[in-house]
Amino acid sequence: MILIIDALNRHHHQSVLDEMFQLRARVFGERLGWDVRIENGREIDEFDALDPAYVIGLDDDCNVVSCVRALQTTGPHMLADVFADILQGEPPLRSATLWESTRFCVDTERLILSGRGPGSVSRATCELMVGSLEYARNNGIEDIVTVIDPVMNRVLKRSDNAPYDYVGETVQMGKTKAMAALLDCSEERIARVRAFAGIEGSVFVDEAALVKARLRKAARAEGLTEYFIDQLDMASSPEELAAALALIDAVLGPQKGVATESLLPVHMPDSAG
Amino acid sequence: MKPLDLGEEPDDGSGPLADVLNRICARFGLDYAAYAGVNTVDDSMHGVVNYPDDWKAHYVEHGYQLIDPTLLAASRSVGVVDWNRLRDFDSFQKVFRDAAEFGIPTTGLTIPVRGPFGDKGMFSVVSSRPDEEWYRLRSEILVAIQTEATLLHDRVMREGRSMKIMLQPTLSVRECEILQWIAAGKSQFDVGVILSISTRTVEVHLRSAREKLGALTTPQAVARAIGMRLIYPI
Repeated sequence: MILIIDALNRHHHQSVLDEMFQLRARVFGERLGWDVRIENGREIDEFDALDPAYVIGLDDDCNVVSCVRALQTTGPHMLADVFADILQGEPPLRSATLWESTRFCVDTERLILSGRGPGSVSRATCELMVGSLEYARNNGIEDIVTVIDPVMNRVLKRSDNAPYDYVGETVQMGKTKAMAALLDCSEERIARVRAFAGIEGSVFVDEAALVKARLRKAARAEGLTEYFIDQLDMASSPEELAAALALIDAVLGPQKGVATESLLPVHMPDSAG
Repeated sequence: MKPLDLGEEPDDGSGPLADVLNRICARFGLDYAAYAGVNTVDDSMHGVVNYPDDWKAHYVEHGYQLIDPTLLAASRSVGVVDWNRLRDFDSFQKVFRDAAEFGIPTTGLTIPVRGPFGDKGMFSVVSSRPDEEWYRLRSEILVAIQTEATLLHDRVMREGRSMKIMLQPTLSVRECEILQWIAAGKSQFDVGVILSISTRTVEVHLRSAREKLGALTTPQAVARAIGMRLIYPI
């Protein structure tokens, strides 16, 4: 399911945004090795300060699994500024009905870890594509210019969502290459991606229901944390400690990194002794 | 910064802005339209509306431009802001209840326009149609009024002395090339074949060129590009 966050509703979804910035840090900073600034485990740049719109994909447990950022090409945007190399010094396209999309990413690790297999990866990717194309289309936008790397370019082609053209050149950007692709927001394209991934019906989430579900989830996680701390406290051998950690891994999934890091330094000496 | 004066007209000699709003309303079957913009470079604000005079007077008298969510909240959005989305904002009830008393319909939307220099414009349209009819109309006219909103905003921004220089159209080689072939009488399809690009690519560059030149139509864009010596007359 897809959630749109912009300046008007972001105060309702601060925790979703925070998860999204962490996802971007994992994907662009760690996995893809882009030249991005990461602070405190979050990738945030100057364009995030310009009230962009975020299209965010969530899994059934309301975890952030994908995201992309939209800005108008009439105003400040990345191709006009930081990605100017791609355009080889040419002025960028500027049109009321053309949006720029950047920072498209999907949390492949979480999806594989969640045991749903590689198939769910492409579904999450396609759902985000459908969500962003439909969001743009619902706003009278006809085309999207998107800054992507060759991997994403192949993903687009493989999901029956191939760019109809590119602007500028493919240039080296940190450890990878970057290019600017053009996608139309036509009903035909949306229908093709939907058919490819078997997506039917609305992809957009009920905002009020999402807020409630995430509050419930946070409360549950807090209760569990106390239980986990007890388990770790009671562990009297390395085997029992390993079992307790495995349980935390199994239950909290991808949050384990955070959970074990914050718990381990306190409890390891006890168990070792 | 100069205060917002809803009656203010930039004196560019190309006809009053209110006429532009009237034309847009007539063309798309809308009741009223309003534009407000902030020129960050020349440090000025501009506004033009075609609301009835009594509502205009009431609005300015109560300083609603300082609390109106269709201006303040909507300016920070990327997408079109349906006025239903603004109901949660404190000032919504105050402004919209008064508007209703003056017979102004409360169904509408605001298109936020962002310019390259931090300048912002808010273009709003109002309709008295029933919901279902309104949403049908909305989806039909959205592409066209997005374009109208940007053209209107750019036109107002160009009234500013400094902005006028900064907003000189900068066309890419591709955009000039396409306009040059159009000036030579080629269709968009022909141009695509000549340049070995898709018709859609021709269209996306042409749309960008039109808007940079402040032109509603391609012939107008060609004329302006020739006038500015960006392409050669043929």
